[in-house]
Amino acid sequence: MAEENISEQKNKGWTPSGEPFLTEAVKKCAEKFKEFVSPYPNCAKEASILVKKEKILEVLNYLKTEESLKFDYLSDLTAVHFPESEFPIVVVYHLFSTEKKDSLRVKVELKEGESIESAVSIWPAANWMEREAYDLMGVKFENHPNLKRILLPDEWEGHPLRKEYPLGGPQEKEIRANKYGKPFLLPDDLEEAKKIIEEGKNAE
Amino acid sequence: MQNEKPSYLRELIETKEFELNMGPQHPATHGVYRAILTLDGERIVGLNSVVGYLHRGIEKWAEYRTWQQATPIFDRLDYLSAVINCHGYVGAVEKLLQVEIPKKAEYIRVICDELQRIASHLIWFGTHALDIGAMSVLFYGVREREAIIDLFEAHFGQRLLYNAYPIGGVRLDFPKGWVDACRKFLKTFNSRIDEYETLLTENRIWKQRTIGVGVISKEDAIAYGLSGPTLRGSGVYFDVRKSIPYSAYPDFDFEIPLGKNGDVYDRYLCRIREMRQSVRIIQQALDGMPEGELKGKVPKIIRPPVGEVYYSVEGAKGQLGFYIVSDGKDKPYRVHIKSPSFINLQGLDVMSRKQLIADMVAIIGSIDIVLGEVDR
Repeated sequence: MAEENISEQKNKGWTPSGEPFLTEAVKKCAEKFKEFVSPYPNCAKEASILVKKEKILEVLNYLKTEESLKFDYLSDLTAVHFPESEFPIVVVYHLFSTEKKDSLRVKVELKEGESIESAVSIWPAANWMEREAYDLMGVKFENHPNLKRILLPDEWEGHPLRKEYPLGGPQEKEIRANKYGKPFLLPDDLEEAKKIIEEGKNAE
Repeated sequence: MQNEKPSYLRELIETKEFELNMGPQHPATHGVYRAILTLDGERIVGLNSVVGYLHRGIEKWAEYRTWQQATPIFDRLDYLSAVINCHGYVGAVEKLLQVEIPKKAEYIRVICDELQRIASHLIWFGTHALDIGAMSVLFYGVREREAIIDLFEAHFGQRLLYNAYPIGGVRLDFPKGWVDACRKFLKTFNSRIDEYETLLTENRIWKQRTIGVGVISKEDAIAYGLSGPTLRGSGVYFDVRKSIPYSAYPDFDFEIPLGKNGDVYDRYLCRIREMRQSVRIIQQALDGMPEGELKGKVPKIIRPPVGEVYYSVEGAKGQLGFYIVSDGKDKPYRVHIKSPSFINLQGLDVMSRKQLIADMVAIIGSIDIVLGEVDR
């Protein structure tokens, strides 16, 4: 079932290598949620599942409360951007069970502009992690108590970890194209320096 | 509760909550961290954290460098424990490549990691005590840290940011005489910890300032995703070295110190005891040092298989995780860092609720944040 799902994804240039690593948690989850959950291949033998967006909160809640699994600890939450894929945003949860010492990766694929349920009601730890994913990747989380930028200033434009965002920032191209002219030292004389600055302003 | 005023007073005197800015420039926030506190008298009723002043876009930067070129930037995350950061990234790439690391290299890594953990805890120990008002402690802490940094200088050639390990193993064996110098340091260090403890552990003022302050329960600590000594202070047995064993840690016999009440004092005790355990680990590693190669078989140009990996190490502050996605090319497609300080700082909201404003400094110190790691 898993292989079919992945071939359907039409991930351009990105098909994970390896086989799905089937732990008890993966099997139980796939059995319970049937078509909504499928094991995901991984090359380093890490248990991963792919969950449909609609059921994510139910699945996470099940993983946390089910007696035999008890994934009570949210290690990490982040997102990855695949601009050419049909599902450009992938949200990734890393769960850990402090009792059973078991880990699990949960992946959710989103289409451009789609939002996902927030996991803050299950783990308060998700609060800042989701804010970070929103800030740097532009993923929108529904019912989040305070979905604001966290690492960047509030007035920042764009989401830097997206692939189309240049490393040097939005002005990178203009700087490279020397639109602002080559850097030079202003003369020591204050009046002359003022003149040059004003002329520069007029020229723009 | 002390902050509850009698009703007749409340009618007579109208009181208002007010906001107080703590930071970004504040000596006790250990960097550029800003806390907007809502106060009711002297009690804290609300906390709004503002972080990101030191954001350097390390995750984005790493996507534009080859796998080997990206290693030194991760030293700049938690600049007080650069060796462990490097181990985290390098370990993640090795897991992705599925290379086998020679036993000797793993032992050298464990020794350096544990020395770094002690050094990081010593800085915490000094500054935390300084925040609360015990000034002389800082000088003792820095004295021993200096000895560790000298050891690192002899081995790595650097004093603070080492670019410690290449992908696949270690660069060099310990130089001549290093092991003896290290043993000599360890011999004195255990008695030095006793010395520290006579200064603080049974100190009446220290106990009054820390016991019952900044409490976080076991359940809350797990739900808020805390890790490291901050989590273990609440009595949760979760240490990556034992729970998700990595490197050569399964070879060594050591204990994980746990707290009971989850207050500032318990977190203090956890870290102090952890230093003793680190000494134990280093001694065992020095005794049982195997012979062999220093580097596994890693190609000159690294192109890992398409896939993803999550690898975590026990940093000085907590679980330091690296989530790496590879698209089969010579650069990482995505590197995400789960930084323990960032997540632990979230718990400050719970710890500081209904606490006195004077204790805020003690609570921030007990979480042991490094802002380079919070903001990445």
